[in-house]
Amino acid sequence: MRATRALLLLTGVGFGLWGVWLMRDFTREQLTSEAFWLAGGVVLHDVILAPVVVVLGYGASRLLPGHFRSGAATAFLVWGTLTVTFLPVLSGQGGKPGNDTVLGKPYVLSWIVMTLLLAGWAVGGALWRRRRRPVEVTAEP
Amino acid sequence: MRLPTVEDIEKRIPRPDDFESRARGTQLTARVGTALGLCFGICFLTGMWSHFQYSTPGWLTLSPNPTQLYRWTQGLHIISGTAAIPLLLVKLWSVFPRLFIRPPKGGRALVVEGLERASIAALMGSSFFLLASGTLNIIGWYPWEFSFRRTHEAVAWVAIGSLLVHIAVKLPVIRRALGEPIDHDDDHHLDPDAPTRRSVLRGAFIASGLAVVLTAGQTVPWLRKVSAFSVRPGDGPQDLPVNRTAKGAGTATTALDPAWRLQVTVGDRTVSLTRDDLLAMPQSTHRLPIACVEGWSRSAVWSGVPVRDLIALAGADPDSDVVVRSLQTKGAFGSSRVVGNVVRDDRTMLALTLNGETLDIDHGYPCRLIAPNRPGVFQTKWVNELEVRA
Repeated sequence: MRATRALLLLTGVGFGLWGVWLMRDFTREQLTSEAFWLAGGVVLHDVILAPVVVVLGYGASRLLPGHFRSGAATAFLVWGTLTVTFLPVLSGQGGKPGNDTVLGKPYVLSWIVMTLLLAGWAVGGALWRRRRRPVEVTAEP
Repeated sequence: MRLPTVEDIEKRIPRPDDFESRARGTQLTARVGTALGLCFGICFLTGMWSHFQYSTPGWLTLSPNPTQLYRWTQGLHIISGTAAIPLLLVKLWSVFPRLFIRPPKGGRALVVEGLERASIAALMGSSFFLLASGTLNIIGWYPWEFSFRRTHEAVAWVAIGSLLVHIAVKLPVIRRALGEPIDHDDDHHLDPDAPTRRSVLRGAFIASGLAVVLTAGQTVPWLRKVSAFSVRPGDGPQDLPVNRTAKGAGTATTALDPAWRLQVTVGDRTVSLTRDDLLAMPQSTHRLPIACVEGWSRSAVWSGVPVRDLIALAGADPDSDVVVRSLQTKGAFGSSRVVGNVVRDDRTMLALTLNGETLDIDHGYPCRLIAPNRPGVFQTKWVNELEVRA
C-alpha cells in the first residue's frame, strides 16, 4: 500500500506539472482569464451554492413533516444537480446565427416539466410513506 | 463598544460538527468518489485520444478503422463528463463540513495540511473548469480569452494529476469506507425520517443517469426522442445536423458559382474537374458517421468519388498524404490533411450526395470530404482543391 500510494503521488505530481508546462506559452491575458475560471467555480460553490443548500436542508428538516423529508431531499438532489448540469442550454447563450440544428429544443419548457415531475415525485412519495406508516408515531403517551 | 477580536470571529465560523445531516460520511463520499473517479478517468483517456486526432504524435498512425471509433470515444467523453456533474456536486456536498476543519497549530502538520488543501483546491478548480468549459464548448459559447482546446487539455493534466494525489492521500480512508456498510442503524434510530446515505447515493446515481439519458440522444439514435436537453436535436437539412453553415463559412455564393472547379495538384501537375466530371466517374456509396468533438454524431449514406481515384488521375500513388482545401473564408479548419493510410481506404471520398440527394449547400456542396473514423471538423466541406504531398 505504501508503494502504491507513493507511486500515485509521484505520478500525480508529474501529471500536474506537465499540465502547467503546457501553459508555458500562454499570454498574460489568457492566463488571467484561465485563473478567473479556475477560481470562479470553487468560489461559486463554497461561498454561494453549498451554504444555500445547507440552509435549505436545515430549514427542511425543521419545517417539513417527517414523512416528507427523505423523498423531498432526493427530489431536490436530483432537481438541483440536473439544473446545474443543464445550465448551459438553459442560459439562452451560444448557438450559431442562421443554424437551427444547434440548440433547437424548448429547453426551458422541458425544465419546467422536469421540475413539476420531481415535485410530484416528492409529494407522491410522502403520501405513500404516510399511508404505509402506522399512526403509532404520533400516538405517543 | 469594542471591535470584535479574531477569537470572536472564529467562534462565529461553523465547525464540522455543526453540520447535522448524518447522511454525510466517508461511506457515502468514497462510493460517489469512486464513480466520479471512473467518469474522470474515461474523460481523460477519451479526451487525450481526441487530442491526438488534432495534433498527432509521431508514434501514432491514424487509421480508418474501426469506422465508428471516434464516434464512440468522443461520445463517451461527453457522456462521462455529463454524468460527472451531479456526482461532483453530491461528492462536494458530502465533504463540505471538512472545509471548516481548523488548521493544526504550526510545524510539520501545518505544512502537510496546507499541501493537501492545495491539492484539493487544484482538483476542485480544475474539475469545475473542465466541466464548465466543456459544456459551454458544446453550445458554442466562449466567454473567455484563452484557447479552448489547448487550455482544456492542459487543465485536464492538472485535474488528473491532482486526482491521483488525492487518491494517494485518501487511499486508506477509501478502502476502509468501501468495506463498511453504507448506513449505521444508530443513525436511523436517532432520526428515522432523515435521508440516509443510501438514499443520497441512490439520488446521485439517478441524477447522473438522468443527465446522460436526457442529453445523449445527440449521439445515441434511440435516445433522440427522450433527450429533451440535448444540444443537437438531430434534425437538419437531409436529416443531418450542421455545425457551420455556408453563410457562416463565407461560401454561400462561391459554392454555387458555375465556374467552380476541383483542382487536383500533384507537384507541378494540376487536373481540373467540374462537378459533372466527378459525377461521371465511378461512384462509391457508404454509410459513415459525422462525429464531432462536441459529442454529437449521426450516420448518413454518402456517395461520391474515392479520393485515391481522384489523385490517381493526376498520377499520384494511392498511399499519398493529401491536403484538402475548402472555399471557406471564415472560421477555423478551412483545410485538413488526410494521411496515406486513410486515403488508401475507398470509403475516403469527396461526397456528392447525402442520403440519396444532391449534397445540401450547408453540408458542403459542390463536394465535401467524408472519411471513416475522423473528427467532424476534418471532414472538410466546400472542397475546391486536393493537393498531394510527397
